[in-house]
Parts: sequence; structure tokens; C-alpha cells
Amino acid sequence: MTRYYLPVAIGALLVAFWLSPNAQEIAAGVAIFLFGMLMLEDGFKLLGGGMLERLLERATRSVPRSMLFGIVSTTVLQSSSLVSVITISFLSAGLISLTGGVGIIFGANIGTTTGAWLVAGLGLKVDIAAYAMPMIALSIILVFQKSKVWRGVGYAVAGLGFLFLGIHHMKEGFEAYKDQIDLLRFALPGVLGLVVYTLLGTVSTVVMQSSHATMVLILTALAAGQITYENALALAIGGNIGTTITAIIGSLSANFQGKRLAVAHLVFNVTTAAVALVFIAQLRDAVDWVSAMVGINADDHALKLAVFHTIFNVLGVALVLPFMRRLVSLLERRIVEPEPDVSRPRYLNAAVDAFPETMESALRKEVLHLRENATELILHGLNLHRHEIFETGNIADTVRKSRTAHDLDIEEGYERRVKTLYSAIVEFTTRAGDKRLPPQIAQRVYDLRDVASDIVQAVKSVKHLRKNVLRYTVRDQGAVTELYDGLRTEIARILLEIRKLERADPEDRSALWLDQEQAQIEEDARKTTRRIDRFIRTGALKPNAATSFLNDSAYAYGAMRQLIKAARGYYIERDSSMAEVEKLLALDDEEFGPGSAR
Amino acid sequence: MGVKQLAEKVAEYNDRLEQGKVEKIKPDHVKKVQKKLEKKMAELEAEIAATGNEDKKGRLNRKLAIAREHAERAEWLLDKIT
Repeated sequence: MTRYYLPVAIGALLVAFWLSPNAQEIAAGVAIFLFGMLMLEDGFKLLGGGMLERLLERATRSVPRSMLFGIVSTTVLQSSSLVSVITISFLSAGLISLTGGVGIIFGANIGTTTGAWLVAGLGLKVDIAAYAMPMIALSIILVFQKSKVWRGVGYAVAGLGFLFLGIHHMKEGFEAYKDQIDLLRFALPGVLGLVVYTLLGTVSTVVMQSSHATMVLILTALAAGQITYENALALAIGGNIGTTITAIIGSLSANFQGKRLAVAHLVFNVTTAAVALVFIAQLRDAVDWVSAMVGINADDHALKLAVFHTIFNVLGVALVLPFMRRLVSLLERRIVEPEPDVSRPRYLNAAVDAFPETMESALRKEVLHLRENATELILHGLNLHRHEIFETGNIADTVRKSRTAHDLDIEEGYERRVKTLYSAIVEFTTRAGDKRLPPQIAQRVYDLRDVASDIVQAVKSVKHLRKNVLRYTVRDQGAVTELYDGLRTEIARILLEIRKLERADPEDRSALWLDQEQAQIEEDARKTTRRIDRFIRTGALKPNAATSFLNDSAYAYGAMRQLIKAARGYYIERDSSMAEVEKLLALDDEEFGPGSAR
Repeated sequence: MGVKQLAEKVAEYNDRLEQGKVEKIKPDHVKKVQKKLEKKMAELEAEIAATGNEDKKGRLNRKLAIAREHAERAEWLLDKIT
């Protein structure tokens, strides 16, 4: 479809320009308006610095809060598209619930009606082009400033200036039409008019990907008397259906949750539109009544359209809200979560790329996913069962009883369950590096990549142990089995301690606890060396077994240190001052004794 | 034993602070870590009292010693920055 979109769109514009030079001014007005929206978005992204994302995380704890967030954010940003894209991104990163996301979309539908009020109340009554020019001229000075805040302000002011300028050109274009062609000739009465103009509104919003732009186009055409009030109502209804395209496009790169949200948006807007079309006469009466109540002139169709837009969106929310839980559970049943494939990245997708907070959060989850895979592979590589180790009260005893060889190709397991995820993490962090992330987030992203690297190194170290684990631990061979059981026990204990850290309340845990584990590793390493010496002296260990074990114990302690280092990087406090305190209090390498290396 | 190293680390931290590379540590930050350490020490003491396994008791005692070392350093650090 996208293959034909570009030539068709360009072709249609050229034909329109050829047929009517005034179409150029209207099209340029739309283009300038959309350009203004893009600049406004960029400005808020620069100014936000993660503020919007942090707010969104907090604002979805209940449905009313989610809706309020949708209303306020769409009113401030003047773009329900941006709000829906952010929502999909957060949903994909697992930061908000589907119910919270649907609440935001409902709120955004109400928030978007403020645009119609702005245009109808201000844009058409005041010469906004007079404000647009100085705004654009002043903004360019700010855009070239080094400070991110000033640049953000510059983009936002320029965006607003271009929005005003776009409205002005659309107005001018339609005014010129008024003198030459009477578009009213194409007005269609009755049901046919409703259907045709609803479709037209849908198509124009899909093409421009902005219901806002469609609404401005309708209002300016209506103010210039180029369309009838009835047809304008149908166009506004169509615009509400067409606006779901942004969420649908955004969900293409998102996971199942993003797709559920896009469908919820579509279901909500189509239902609202259908109800509005069926009860159009009653809605018209309601608009007349409300308009008379608030003192809007009976012939001020632009303001009356804004009233209609508001009533119809609020009504839609009121109608669908009682069925929201059912809608969410229906979507959860229909768009099922794919069977988790441990070898594929779960959280790193294009939808989380848009915002620094979602990038970091998705990466944290993916690194945890990698560690879960690595933990299972390490334990299986040592002929141990994860659930047995994590549930036992005595690890040494459980290890001694684990004498069955696991049917495992550790190389294949490494390639499939570790390397693929690690590659995705490296690719993702490289991509993140190309974006201008806030320095603290960029640092945490790189730290998480290092954590992933340490986990991978730990798995590689355990791979070396596999051969002799199979050789010496499936049946008791005396001293050598005892030594290998010791290594298996210590690695399993480290994995258990890291799991405890993961499960602990973040308010209670500290990366400092890992000093205790690191000290234990170094103590165990010293004890193991003394035991080997004793076994060799007493002849309990043959020289070839002793050399194998010496090599393997170096790999095993290496793996343990790498796991601790990875956990240290993962659980370091996110507050930078708290992280500094932890670093200052932490023990240094030399304090753990000889052989230690972080 | 670790206070000397800690003093060196604090001096190095102060250098980075002057260069604007790190954020300032406030007493509340240290107190928050102290609170975590106190809770951890209490948990370890309870575990030591509850276990009959001598090997486990030894490991837990070593952990407790390290937690106490951290607590001692936190006390020193708090005194230094207050």
C-alpha cells in the first residue's frame, strides 16, 4: 500500500493545483500546519527531558487519572497522535497497563476537542497571522541556542507560529475559492451526505494523519461558507475515525499490547462515530440547545461545530466507559500474548525507541531476561535444576544428590538463548547511542550493556566446566567429585543470592550486599586451593585430575565474579547521589584478599 | 581498617564534584543507606540465631562482619559530610 501512497498523493495534489491555483494555498496551509505540529512535538520532547514519560508512569494508577492525563496532555500538546504514540511506546515497554493506556486514549479524545475551540474561538476571529510572523522570527534565534531548554522553547514557539500561519493560509485559500467556485454545489443532503462526508473526513485524516488538521480545514471551509454545517458535522465524525490511523501505524512496530491499544482506539472511535451518525438529529438539537445556553449565535457554525465535536466525544466516552473492562478483557482474549520464545528479545522493539525512559526500562527488562536465560543454562550446565536449587534449604546437599546428566548441548543453548539476546542488546544500545539521550540515562544504558556482557562472560566460563562436570559429577569418584560439587554449590549459591536481591523490596536492597558475596567467593577460592594441595599431598587426587580441576576452578570463580559484577551494575542505585554513597562505602578489591578482581 | 581507603575515595569524589561530574551527596542519602544496613544486620543476626548448621553460621557471620564494616564507614561518611 505504501508503494502507491506517495505517487497517488503527489499526483492528486498536482491535479488539484492544475485545476485550481487556490488549492495550492489550502494545501500549503495544511502542510504548514502539520509542520507546525511536528515542531511543537520536537519542542516538547526537548523540553520534557523525560518529564512527560515520568508523569505518564504515575498517571495511570486508576482509570480517572489516566483519562485526566489524556485530556491534559492532549490539550497542552495539541496532538492526540503524539499522546497515542507515547502511550503505545509505554505499553510496549511494559510500563503501563492496557487499562491505563485505554484510559489515556479516551481522555485524548476529549482533549483533542480543545483544538476545535482554539481555532473556532480564536483562529477564525483574530488575525492570527499577525502573531505567527513574529513568533516564527523570534523562535529561530532560540532554535540555534546551545541550551536544550531554549532550543525546546524555540521549537515550541515556532511550532505554534507555523500552526497559526497554516490556519491563516487555509482561511485565505477558502476565501479565494468563495469568489470563484462554490463548493456548496457539491453539498449533499440527507443520509447520502452524511455517509459521503464521513468517508471524506476519514480519508482526509488518514492522508494527513491528523484529526486536528482535518478539523481546522473543516472549520476554515465552514467559516468561508464553502461547506454546509450538516456536511461539516459528518466530516468531523469521519475525522474521528481517521485519527485512529496513527495508533494503528504506531502499533505495527509494537508488541501485542500496543496492537490491543490500537484496536481499542479503533473500536472506541468507530462506535462513537456510529452512535453519532444514528443520532445526528438529536445531537444537532443538543448542540443548538447548548449553544443557546452559552450564548453562541445561531449562525456561528464554526463555534457550533466545536460544541458538536465536544459533545460527541464526551458522549462517546460516557457510552463506552462502562464497557471498558469488558473491552479490555475481550482484547486480551482476541489478541493473545504470543507464547514466550526465550531466544527472542521480549522488550526491545521499535516502539520503545522513541523515548529515553522507555528505552532504559525496556533494556533493563531485556537484560533481566538475558540473566534468567543465563541462570538456567548455567545451572543445567552444572547438571542442576533451577527450581530445586531455588527451593532447597540446603544447597550443598541438593548438589550432592544431583547426579543425573542433563541432556544439554551447552553450545547450542548458548547460541540460542544467550548470544541472540546479547546481540539484540548490543544493537539496541548502539542505536540508543545515536540518539541524544540525557547524559544520566545514556550512562545507565551503557552500564546495562556492560552488565549483559558480564553475564555472557559468566556463561562462557561455565561452558568450559561442562565437560568435566559430566565426567566427574554423575557418579561419586571421591575427592575429585567432592571438589567439583564444591564449585557447583558455590555457583548455585551466588545465583540464589542474586535471585534474592531481585526479589527484595527495592527500598530495602543495596548493591552493597554483593560485597558479602564477593568476600565469600574469595574465601571459598582460598579454601579450595588449600584443599587441592591437601588432596595432591595425600594422593587423593591424581595429577591429571588436579590440573583439570585447577583450570576449571579458575573458570568457575571467574564466572562467579562476573555474575557479582553484573549484579552490582544492575542493582546500583538509580539515584546518582545514592549510587555514589554505595560506591564510597563498598569494599575495594584488595580488601577481599588475593585473587579477587571485579 | 577501611576508613583510610574511604578517605581517599571521598577526596577523589570531591575532585569529581568540583568538576561537576557528580551530584552532591546529602546526609539524607547516607542515612537512607544506613537504614538499609541496619535492617540487613538485624536480618543476618536473626538468621544466625535460627540456624543450627555451623557452616552456614560461619558464612552468615562473615556477611555480618562486612555489613558492620559498611555501617562503620557510613557513620564516618555521615560525620564527614554533615
